[in-house]
Amino acid sequence: MLKIANLSKTYANGVQALRDVSLDIPTGMFGLLGPNGAGKSTLMRTIATLQEADSGSISLDGLDVLKEKAEVRKILGYLPQEFGVYPRITAEVMLDHFALLKGIVGPRQRKAVVEALLRQTNLYQFRRRKLGTFSGGMRQRFGIAQALLGDPRLLIVDEPTAGLDPEERNRFLNLLSEIGENVVVILSTHIVDDVSDLCSRMAIISEGRVLQTGMPREVIASLHGSIWQKTVGKSELEDYRARYQVISTRLFAGLTVIHVFSLERPDASFEQVAADLEDVYFKTLRQSASAAA
Amino acid sequence: MLRTLRAIFIFELRYQVKQPLVYATTLILMLLAFGAVTTDSIRVGGAIGNVHRNAPFVIMQLLTVLSVIGMFVITAFVASAANRDFEHGTAPLFFSKPVSNFDYLAGRFAGSLVVSVAVFVGAAAGIAIGSFMPWLEPERLGPFSLTPYLYTFAVFIVPNLVFIGAVFFTLASTTRSLMFTYLGVVGFFIIYAVAGTLLGNLENQVPASLLDPFGLSSLGLATRYWTVVERNTALPPLGAGSLLLNRAIWIAIGLAVLAAGFLVFDPARPSTGRRRRARPQLSPIAALPAGRLALEEVAVAEAGSGRPLAVASTRCFSAGAQIRQFIQQARLEVVSVVKSIPFVVLLAFGMTNVLASVRFANEVYGSPVLPVTHLMLEWLAGTFLFLLVIIVIFYSGELVWKERALKLNEVYDSLPVPTWATFASKLAALVVVVVSFSLVGALTTAGFQLYRGYHHLEPLLYLKGLAVTTIPFLLIAVLAVFLQVLANSKFLGYLLMILYLISGAVLRSLDFDHQLYHFAGSPAVLYSDMNGYGHFVTPFLWFSLYWTFLALVLFGLSLLLRVRGTESSWRQRWRQAAARFHGPVRALVAGGLLGFVVTGAYIYYNTNVLNPYVPGDKLRNQQADYEKKYRRYRDIAMPRITAVKADVDIFPRERRLAVRGHYQMRNKTTSPIDTLHVTLPPRVKVLSLRFRDHTEVLRDRALGYSIYRFARPLAPGEEMALDFELAVTNPGFVNNDPDTSLVYNGTFFNNRQYFPVLGYEERRQLIDRNERRKRGLLPVDRMAKVDDLFARRNTYLTRDSDWIDFETTVSTSADQIAIAPGYLQRQWRAGDRRYFHYKMDAPILHFFSYLSAAYKVRRDSWKGVAIEIYYQEPHTYNLGRMVDSIKKSLDYYTANFGPYQHRQVRILEFPDYERFAQSFPNTIPYSESIGFIADLKDQESIDYVFYVTAHEVAHQWWAHQVIGGNVQGATMLSETMSQYSALMVMEKEYGKDKMRRFLQYELDRYLSGRGGELVEEMPLMLVENQDYIHYRKGSVVMYALRDYIGEAALNGALARYLAAVKFEQPPYTNTPELLRIIEEATPPERRAMIGDMFSKITLFNNRVVGASYSRRADGRYAVDLTVEAAKVRADGKGVETPARLDDWIDIGVFGEKKDKRSKPQETVLYLAKHRFTEPRTTLHLVVDGLPVQAGIDPYNKLVDRDSKDNRKRVEPAARNAEAKAVKG
Repeated sequence: MLKIANLSKTYANGVQALRDVSLDIPTGMFGLLGPNGAGKSTLMRTIATLQEADSGSISLDGLDVLKEKAEVRKILGYLPQEFGVYPRITAEVMLDHFALLKGIVGPRQRKAVVEALLRQTNLYQFRRRKLGTFSGGMRQRFGIAQALLGDPRLLIVDEPTAGLDPEERNRFLNLLSEIGENVVVILSTHIVDDVSDLCSRMAIISEGRVLQTGMPREVIASLHGSIWQKTVGKSELEDYRARYQVISTRLFAGLTVIHVFSLERPDASFEQVAADLEDVYFKTLRQSASAAA
Repeated sequence: MLRTLRAIFIFELRYQVKQPLVYATTLILMLLAFGAVTTDSIRVGGAIGNVHRNAPFVIMQLLTVLSVIGMFVITAFVASAANRDFEHGTAPLFFSKPVSNFDYLAGRFAGSLVVSVAVFVGAAAGIAIGSFMPWLEPERLGPFSLTPYLYTFAVFIVPNLVFIGAVFFTLASTTRSLMFTYLGVVGFFIIYAVAGTLLGNLENQVPASLLDPFGLSSLGLATRYWTVVERNTALPPLGAGSLLLNRAIWIAIGLAVLAAGFLVFDPARPSTGRRRRARPQLSPIAALPAGRLALEEVAVAEAGSGRPLAVASTRCFSAGAQIRQFIQQARLEVVSVVKSIPFVVLLAFGMTNVLASVRFANEVYGSPVLPVTHLMLEWLAGTFLFLLVIIVIFYSGELVWKERALKLNEVYDSLPVPTWATFASKLAALVVVVVSFSLVGALTTAGFQLYRGYHHLEPLLYLKGLAVTTIPFLLIAVLAVFLQVLANSKFLGYLLMILYLISGAVLRSLDFDHQLYHFAGSPAVLYSDMNGYGHFVTPFLWFSLYWTFLALVLFGLSLLLRVRGTESSWRQRWRQAAARFHGPVRALVAGGLLGFVVTGAYIYYNTNVLNPYVPGDKLRNQQADYEKKYRRYRDIAMPRITAVKADVDIFPRERRLAVRGHYQMRNKTTSPIDTLHVTLPPRVKVLSLRFRDHTEVLRDRALGYSIYRFARPLAPGEEMALDFELAVTNPGFVNNDPDTSLVYNGTFFNNRQYFPVLGYEERRQLIDRNERRKRGLLPVDRMAKVDDLFARRNTYLTRDSDWIDFETTVSTSADQIAIAPGYLQRQWRAGDRRYFHYKMDAPILHFFSYLSAAYKVRRDSWKGVAIEIYYQEPHTYNLGRMVDSIKKSLDYYTANFGPYQHRQVRILEFPDYERFAQSFPNTIPYSESIGFIADLKDQESIDYVFYVTAHEVAHQWWAHQVIGGNVQGATMLSETMSQYSALMVMEKEYGKDKMRRFLQYELDRYLSGRGGELVEEMPLMLVENQDYIHYRKGSVVMYALRDYIGEAALNGALARYLAAVKFEQPPYTNTPELLRIIEEATPPERRAMIGDMFSKITLFNNRVVGASYSRRADGRYAVDLTVEAAKVRADGKGVETPARLDDWIDIGVFGEKKDKRSKPQETVLYLAKHRFTEPRTTLHLVVDGLPVQAGIDPYNKLVDRDSKDNRKRVEPAARNAEAKAVKG
């Protein structure tokens, strides 16, 4: 269990990246959902020993993450949002190297671990290829492979699906879901589906604040029966925004489909739809924004 | 169309103008140029002596040299213009628009070219601004003029940039590989370097100068004999030498390459190099339909899913594991460096550079030396290992920030690897890279040694030598890495390193020269085959240890301050550093600091307590003070030394000297003398100084000057004795310039260094005019006028004596032989010491040497004169030549000049710390670097061992019998005469043809020496100790004189002169006395020539304008030869005025003797002196054989600035006439 308590962080340029963040993250997949710039990466990096916090604490099964960095790194697997590779080194060699750096010293064992991980990430057939020639998805899977080295008890993956095509994304999420349940996996993303597809628990974070936590199913249930949908013309949109609590709009076949939060049917022209995580996400963000305003 | 081109051009310009590299380059070049003009620390351009700091010559040289250096960055500009779109993947955006290849390329090229030119405008501005700086001496500045700048840009800079730009733009756009482009740069640098070295050989200067793509060699050739006046005012006419041709050739090549590049340009073609090989690997994947790929992968995934998610892995974080992680990471880093482009380029450049230079290393008169290992090491350091500074700086940034650059830093930083392991791996990689770079260099030169057939490789010496040069770079690597960490930014780190380098140079130039505060500094380490690394090792090791301790501290600090993670504010870094400061790091920093302080204290004790530390400016202050306080006593009457006896104990291991000496002195003046003035260098410890009753008037220990007043004045003719006990010690070690005269093996000093000198010593004065002016001193007095009788009371060597009797007992350690002038009377051993008692049987000058080393001796004899060569194993290579030269010299000199005053000639090898041979009475110390290791295998090469030996033996007559008074022309009587004597011996041995080659070098060195004159060029008979005049011009003039009046007549005159003045008492002889005798021996019609040769600076400009022949009915050949002859006189600054021509000049016609086996030999068909009075003369000659060449002064006996046009091929008359007709 990873316990984050009252974590705050202000950057030198005055940006308040984290404001009193407290989270309890049990084993299993935990989704961290928020728009770009919400503070997700700051939080992830702080947990991954790469950054200091101004105040607050993080502990993992009694281990003080902020202080005992060396110990944390021994049980950590981390896939940063953006990462590169040595372009002229093959996947196998690079992974072997990372394995050694993760403390897998025995050469034979290292070879076995590397092979297993390459198979698991479906990179085995490309193991002799230089990393510079990898596509985005392959590179991302390579990233997860290196993060999985040495059986981490804490796995942090920051925006892993950004930039992947749907196919690659699916494959990647499948891989993540296979990871054992007795591991804390934190997945940060701004793509709602990632979380709803994958995570047993989640938090929504924006402007450095935790806006909501819980199990996706529960939070969706909290909106049950209060999401209404209507297809409107472009010119009417502003009018609707003024009259109703519009939580999202999207285009469908050239027309605008709006979702409105309301405990009752706003009028007959609205039809009720089953709430999904996206509604939760947008509603939470809107609420937070209007609270701030 | 033009509009697109212009748009692309302007876009390119705008893009480049935003690049920091452009500004950085401009700034650096500007500062370099500014520094070269305003300081003496940056010496590019040749502003020395009377040459103005902003002379047109300096502007041309400086800017053109900068254009060579600038090639590296200009390449970056044009390569960026050519390749940017392919690198950034923006190419499709351009080539999907209606843009022609030509517009695209031409626009890009022109844009980058304009930026390049602008960079050099900045450099030119640096010169121009520099020349207005208020601290510059006004007499060193010429008037500002835009013309030289425009000329330089038009003739050198713009053509060079067009050429460089065109070639590398094309290379970049066709290969699309920066690696290949930079390999091309290296290639041109090599061509340039090769051209430079070929230029050293007089025979292939023109082709060599054409080879130089930058025109510097052509410029050098065109201005090679320029005098100060020309350098200050002139610009070379384009027609001068090969200048125009060179420029035309290289611009044409550049444009042709560019045109070819435009033609083959194909935007659709993939890149060369690694990337091209990578593409095909990628394509099968790209080509596969997505669906199939997915299926395959699913299959694999299913196969894999049966397994456990990850193989259970036991992990280990022990120290052993950390070390393995460190090694593995280091290996990865090393591979990444040695495979990278800059490393490969620098290595290739270095290897070519060292090979190109070492081939011509230490040549004397075009003759090579044996490639001995220490020479290889010396050249490695100068031409190869200096690149390490670039490697260390560049790769410190690359390695430290590699993960960051690859965006892998977050992954790395979160790995369970201790900071030290990843960080130390980078440093270790740097160390491995530096060491392997050095080793490759050593292998390169070792290969060269083997190629030259030299098998004595001395691997141990290689290791030592590499350690000496490489250790400072390793220390600098630690500093570079530390600064990178500190700056936490690659470019800031680079900037700090550059600041370190510059500040070091600036501090040294301001005489802040203690090595204790120059990071990685230590006193220079010199090697000699005789003395090995000798006493240089100890200080080097201590300083290395001292800096290593600091390096440990820096390493510790780097660990503390290294940013791990993304937290980079100083507040957080301090907090983290404080948190990390425990355990081994703390021990490292504390231990390092302790070691640093302790070794520093020990070094300080050695350099500042055991020895005085005197920074350069203080030393010069002392010199100036000595002059200000005591020069007034220069001409004071002093007793003169008539005999010297000395017991000298040399302790080689301790580098110590004990002297007990005795001077016999007499008042040779006509009035009583009441004071004695003694100069003794401050470093000589005076244990006692005993002489007749006196009182001490002054004792200046700091400057080493004392004045004593006799209780009773020394009456005229009265004798007195001076007994002294002195000690010279070398305790511990010093900061800079350690003493090289008292060494473990190869001690060599003369009496002027350690014995008391009576009166004021002019030799100790400050010479540099700027340094003198800073201290309120006028420039050093010129030599006294040639007929100054007062000055002629002294020889030009000493002021305290005439001829002396000499006797000495010298002792040394049991394994060495000690030598001083004189004949060995007795030698014996006492305890572990060897004693040698020498006594001279003829009067000698008060100038003698002591040497001691573990010598081997080669003995021979000539008509009862013992010949002995004291040498060091294995330097036996040329002993035979030396002996032979001594014998032949003695033959010639005794036959032509007069008897030899001694019964012995000894040559003594001394270490490489000095590079000269010097003649003392019957004793010739001879540096190991000249002659002992000359490689004379090639029969064609000039045997300078023979020459130098003959020259030194000649000094036994010309200096040790005849010695000039201390006035102008004195060195003509010793040096010029010795040159002439040696030339005669050489000619007998090697023939006239070789002499011609030798004299070409002498003429060349005289003419180029004129340009380096700092004060004023003097005519030969008034020479003021100017090397290029008394040696070089002396050779040329005397050889011509011999030719004009004949060897017998000249030698007869010399013998008469010698007999008249040898061992004379004051006033000592001067050059007019010699010239009078020579004139008497000269036929009246040729006497005018003697004035031209000796009392004026005369230059000829002789050339053949036309030469044709026709076959006569009688089978002989009629030759029509049209020649031009002109004579000018130059003043001391080089201003020329035409002189009336009435001279006898050689006319020669030459045929060819063909031999199947060897090269065709030249035969003389006609050679006679003709009298010329007209600027243009046509001669009609008849010769027996088929004429091939004809010329005026064909053997270059006269001083002629362009000796190449003195000969011309003789063409058949008909063809010549035709050619004329066409022209007409």
